[in-house]
Amino acid sequence: MNRYRTVATWRRHFRASAVLQILLLLALWQVGELVVRLTRLPLPGAIAGLFILLALLGTKRLSVCSVRRGASWFLAEMLLFFVPAVMAVLDHPELFGLQGVKILLVILTSTCLVMIVTAGVIDAFYRIKVSGEDHVPAID
Amino acid sequence: MYLPSIDVVLPALAWSAVTIALYFAGKMVHRRFPRWWSSPLLLAPLLLVVVALAFRVTYGEYIRGTHWLVALLAPATVSFAVPIFEQWPLIRRYWLLLVVGMLVGSATSMLSSWGLATLFGLDDSVRLSLLPRSLSTPFAMIVSGDIGGTPALTAVFVVITGVFGAIIGEMVLTILPLRSSLARGALLGMGAHGAGTAKAYQIDREVGAIAGLVMVLVGVLNVLAASLLPNILK
Repeated sequence: MNRYRTVATWRRHFRASAVLQILLLLALWQVGELVVRLTRLPLPGAIAGLFILLALLGTKRLSVCSVRRGASWFLAEMLLFFVPAVMAVLDHPELFGLQGVKILLVILTSTCLVMIVTAGVIDAFYRIKVSGEDHVPAID
Repeated sequence: MYLPSIDVVLPALAWSAVTIALYFAGKMVHRRFPRWWSSPLLLAPLLLVVVALAFRVTYGEYIRGTHWLVALLAPATVSFAVPIFEQWPLIRRYWLLLVVGMLVGSATSMLSSWGLATLFGLDDSVRLSLLPRSLSTPFAMIVSGDIGGTPALTAVFVVITGVFGAIIGEMVLTILPLRSSLARGALLGMGAHGAGTAKAYQIDREVGAIAGLVMVLVGVLNVLAASLLPNILK
């Protein structure tokens, strides 16, 4: 009885603590790295960690309440982790010249195309699927 | 026992503190003036570059003290399991649609990057490094190395794609008459990876989850294609 209550208290504590959940996510990442190294999968360790966590959640071995706060923190501050990577421009002074302008034009145009094509294809198929399921023609 | 010397620890602490401080300052400015130029991914690095140039610091010296921040992208990637799990019914219903969108999107990204880079007369190492730029950083660097590009250069292109992609994405979303959050999420996740996904979360949780899923799956898809295709074509 007493032991049971200790587990329940500990679980409640864990579900309220973003710090403990952040530590759990760091541990899952390291497990992912280990799995990738042992199995020699051609994947980043973080992706293996993602699939491990997804499997734990899907098989109900872990409640989503035990990771939600930690995950929300990582996702909310994700842009911070990109900032130091941008500093690589310091090593590529050629990017500040004409070549940089050309590269920027390639990236902007290509990104625009990718977005329009991807969203266009998915939305077109979505309309077909939805109108096929409901037998109601799209309004617009 | 190994003890790092004070000349290593001090700059590492200082650059990490400056980076974090500028990021949160940028976020505050963005909350006060929510414009494209005040995005924390544009304003913070811009100020950092100015500081780094003023102190004559090279990228190598800077990243030695701050690479732990970039490493945190990995547990952030693990965290995507939560929104993917929460949106599972939606994903299970429309997985075929999402896969078609990702295949078409990847093809568009590579063909248009290659075509435009050739048109502008950019050299081979730049052209190859541009190909995987719409993937998120860890995937893009693996693919870049696999196909003969320069991973460090790809990292810069990935970030440029993210910064401007999140901005372009917001503009494209207001122009295109999209009906499904599926298409909105895929647009941001496919076109602007992590930065696009962060933007998608500002729109709503469902769009964010789809963007995160698309970003992760497109990364897995391309890493597998880059490591398997050369073996098959041989």
